[in-house]
Amino acid sequence: MNKESVVHKRKKAVKYLLIHLALIAAAAACVYPLLRILSVSIRPGDKLISTDLSLIPDGATFAAYARLLKETLFLRWLWNSLLITVSTSFIGVSLASTAAYAFSRFRFAGKRSGLVLLLSTQMIPAGMLILPLFLMIMKLGLMNTYLGIIIAYSVSSLPFSIWILKGYYDTIPRSLEEAALVDGTSQLGAFYRIILPLSTPALSIAFLFNFTTAWNEYLVARVVLFSSQQYTWTLGLFELQGQYITQWGMFAAGSMLVTAPVLAVFLYSSKWLISGLTLGSVKG
Amino acid sequence: MAEVKFSNITKKFNENVVLNGLNAEIRDHEFVVIIGPSGCGKTTLLRMLAGLEEITGGEIRIDGVLVNNMHPSKRQIAMVFQDYALYPHMTVEENMSFALRLRKAPKAEIEQRVSEAASILQLTKLLKRMPKQLSGGQRQRVAIGRAIVRKPKAFLFDEPLSNLDAKLREEMRVEIAKLYQRLDATIIYVTHDQVEAMTLASRIMVMNHGVIQQVGAPIEVYRKPANLFVAGFIGSPTMNFIHGRLAAEGGKLYLKNESLSLLIPSFLLSGTAEHDGREVVAGVRPDDVLAGSAAHEPNKKYSEKLEGVLEVSELLGHRENLYLKVGQTRVLATVEAFFNQSPGSGVALRFNYENMHIFDKASTKRIND
Amino acid sequence: MDILYSIYEILWFALIVVTGIALIEGCCYYHFRFHDRPWFIPAALAVLPASGAAGCLALGLVAEPVKPFLWLLGSEALIALFFKYVVKGRNTLPYLLLAPAFIGLALLLVYPFVFEIYLSFHDLKLTTIMAWKNTGSLPFVGLRQYADVFTTSPLSEVTFWALLGRTLWWTFINVFFHVAGGFALALLLNNNIRFKGFYRTLLIIPWAMPQVVAVLAMRGEFHSQYGFINIMLVKLAAAWPFLAHLGLGPAQWLSNYPLTTCTLINVWLGIPFMMVVILGGLQSISSSYYDAADIDGASYFQKLRFITLPLIRPVLMPAVTLGTVWTFNNINVIYLVTGQSGGTERADILVSALYKAAFTYNRYSYSAAFAIVIFAMLFFISVFYLKSFDAAKEDR
Repeated sequence: MNKESVVHKRKKAVKYLLIHLALIAAAAACVYPLLRILSVSIRPGDKLISTDLSLIPDGATFAAYARLLKETLFLRWLWNSLLITVSTSFIGVSLASTAAYAFSRFRFAGKRSGLVLLLSTQMIPAGMLILPLFLMIMKLGLMNTYLGIIIAYSVSSLPFSIWILKGYYDTIPRSLEEAALVDGTSQLGAFYRIILPLSTPALSIAFLFNFTTAWNEYLVARVVLFSSQQYTWTLGLFELQGQYITQWGMFAAGSMLVTAPVLAVFLYSSKWLISGLTLGSVKG
Repeated sequence: MAEVKFSNITKKFNENVVLNGLNAEIRDHEFVVIIGPSGCGKTTLLRMLAGLEEITGGEIRIDGVLVNNMHPSKRQIAMVFQDYALYPHMTVEENMSFALRLRKAPKAEIEQRVSEAASILQLTKLLKRMPKQLSGGQRQRVAIGRAIVRKPKAFLFDEPLSNLDAKLREEMRVEIAKLYQRLDATIIYVTHDQVEAMTLASRIMVMNHGVIQQVGAPIEVYRKPANLFVAGFIGSPTMNFIHGRLAAEGGKLYLKNESLSLLIPSFLLSGTAEHDGREVVAGVRPDDVLAGSAAHEPNKKYSEKLEGVLEVSELLGHRENLYLKVGQTRVLATVEAFFNQSPGSGVALRFNYENMHIFDKASTKRIND
Repeated sequence: MDILYSIYEILWFALIVVTGIALIEGCCYYHFRFHDRPWFIPAALAVLPASGAAGCLALGLVAEPVKPFLWLLGSEALIALFFKYVVKGRNTLPYLLLAPAFIGLALLLVYPFVFEIYLSFHDLKLTTIMAWKNTGSLPFVGLRQYADVFTTSPLSEVTFWALLGRTLWWTFINVFFHVAGGFALALLLNNNIRFKGFYRTLLIIPWAMPQVVAVLAMRGEFHSQYGFINIMLVKLAAAWPFLAHLGLGPAQWLSNYPLTTCTLINVWLGIPFMMVVILGGLQSISSSYYDAADIDGASYFQKLRFITLPLIRPVLMPAVTLGTVWTFNNINVIYLVTGQSGGTERADILVSALYKAAFTYNRYSYSAAFAIVIFAMLFFISVFYLKSFDAAKEDR
């Protein structure tokens, strides 16, 4: 082995060491806040307020979780969120799946302008529509109801879902539907029997996207829902994390309960979820 | 089984006219191959027959019934697509039985028909597989099986072999030929591969630019091409074309251009004076050019000896392609291997009058019989 | 009991949605299918407005059905004529497929937008809202709300212009750090190293966490006494006293530096998305370009400059555009950090001020006008941007 290659090897090892160090630092910065919540959530009540930085506190306990479930309406909030989110995603995805089919497979007057309209709705700042939606919901007498909030949510992810699904339908060869037509389905039958079953990946992405958007929504819920019976978990947690640190433990426990499943789903499906999301959003 | 009749079919995509007043008839039990270069409208015609493409004008009748506005599934046809269009989420069996299940046929009948078709196509062992677990040839057979199961009046094939490699294509070609003998059905088969057309068809329909150029038995289309397009399109290697002007001299007719003067005997083209001055193209297949020592002895069926120069020769195995130049005119001759002359040397050649075709240059139509 | 009731409410809602879609599809189908029948227009005029008005009455939306009836009659006449002479039953299926989605969008995106414009010319505030709710009438004030947007503070003291400047600064700083951070991490990850998937998973956690949890948790870390940041600063200052002399020490982050706090939090939140997008772009660059550049003798930075950057531009540009719009419109982070009662307004950007003006100060019409102004700005910026983007495309 000559000298040059030894130097080269050493240089390479140093380079990889530096890369790993940098990535570990970045990863720590990303994970640490989550670990902190976990650690706060298992602190015993008397040590809640402390400047202790260790991740596993002395006398770790699940008392905060028990208190959260007993003393607050946390389960009820989760239930509310779940109902609202599932209904919204269901409506969103079903409307999007048919509309995307029309865009993907038919030529009709107004197709281009329809697509442009879809894109341009994405330019309207979401914050801008909260006020008129709030007033409409008030006028319809739907304040503080699931209905009001579902109506407000249901179309917000529609353009994006249509865009994702259209992109996916476009990759399915037309000859499959034509074969189905020859075999004896109607055009709608071909959609239902051939295209929909083949689009499960894209439908799941659209569903997950609708789901996460509605699940994490805070601003509309803040103005439409006002009794704590009807709160979604986002409103509930915001209340728990008040100005003073008295309920810090319960907030942390609630955060863990909400985050764990979302994180699990996201990380589990991250490979295709991310490719779908970034593809859709970047292309859009 | 079925007769198909196209009358005055026109098709426009926006302003783009693809078919303009096409007429054709396909008889019962016939294997018709529609052949033509890509974009000639052959696939469009097939898809219109299947009901997948709207008919701009004209009528299509199957067994005398007007089908212009009939749903594809009501036309009692089956189609094999270029990419097979097997439903990826269904097993082979489900793919084959889909049409019958849609029609709510009795279970026993479905099973019986599927297993029958599967045994014809040797698919019995593959029935539970998904399409993506199959090889190209197997997929092709499933696609055909799916068509057979329906017992249609007519089978439509849209370039079914173009996605297969050369060896498989040959095998499947034979399979389709066998299948035709067995089913005795009306088959309409679109392709751009002339070997498929020549080997499979009972009649070939040559199309170009949305117009039918010639319809006839394969041998007829090969021996007596109706115009320059057909002459150039059918046959491989391509026919030699010699452009020139006919001249009547001393009661005889000659084809003349800047490099050669060729006697046109009266058994090839009757009449003399009326052809004088006419711009024509003479066509000779490379197989009908004698070259080298074989061209030295005079022969009544062949033209007089011409002197050419060998530019390149390609050995194909038992045959050899000679690229010759007679003056400025290029001539390809296919002869028995081995042709022992090197490029640049002079070669004698003669054309076979019996298989020579004379086309009018302006109308491109054949003028000899 | 509660849960039973909520299920009941959802079922009721499902019923409304299904009926609504059935009605929409029925109406559309009628217009497409029977447009050429002689009784098409008379039947449409007789049945649809009457049943629509009856429906409004039954749902309790109006007290007396004359006004909606006339409205429906007029619009139905126009729609029927449109179908009879323009659409003529063409493209039935695609329109039927699109109808529910687009009517939904029209009712919940386009109508609110138009309603917002209407509001901005009237005066809806806490004192007039009851009257509006009961009678539906509002005093017309012309352009006064727009004038107010530029002359008075949307909140209690900060002015429109200060908000605008702060918003641009906020957007620029955030997007800059998102791209820079995302790019750096993506470059690191794009090496052939061990545990790559593991790092990647950890690095997207800020994006994967529910935003409300992430922001509130980070907000906790900025607490002056018990937040991680100040605890660390105290420890650092104790360990190396010279740092304390340089002015390093715990700070009242939330009350003294709210905008910095929000920015730090939002940068932390936004880097993973950019990282993922850029990493995707990097991975799509064929390694043969780098091999060719190596043979040509390019240094690391030359490769970065002449190969990586130009080749990820098509991926990066749309992501940056999108990121800019998102950051510009980001209410969440700022509201969650400063939105509690008594929260500061020193971190507010345009959109969060808009939200607070509407729902903390209840100045509805004012904030409608404010929203229209923001929208117009965004609109012109994007038109301008798209134009220059197109021009740049044509140059190449």
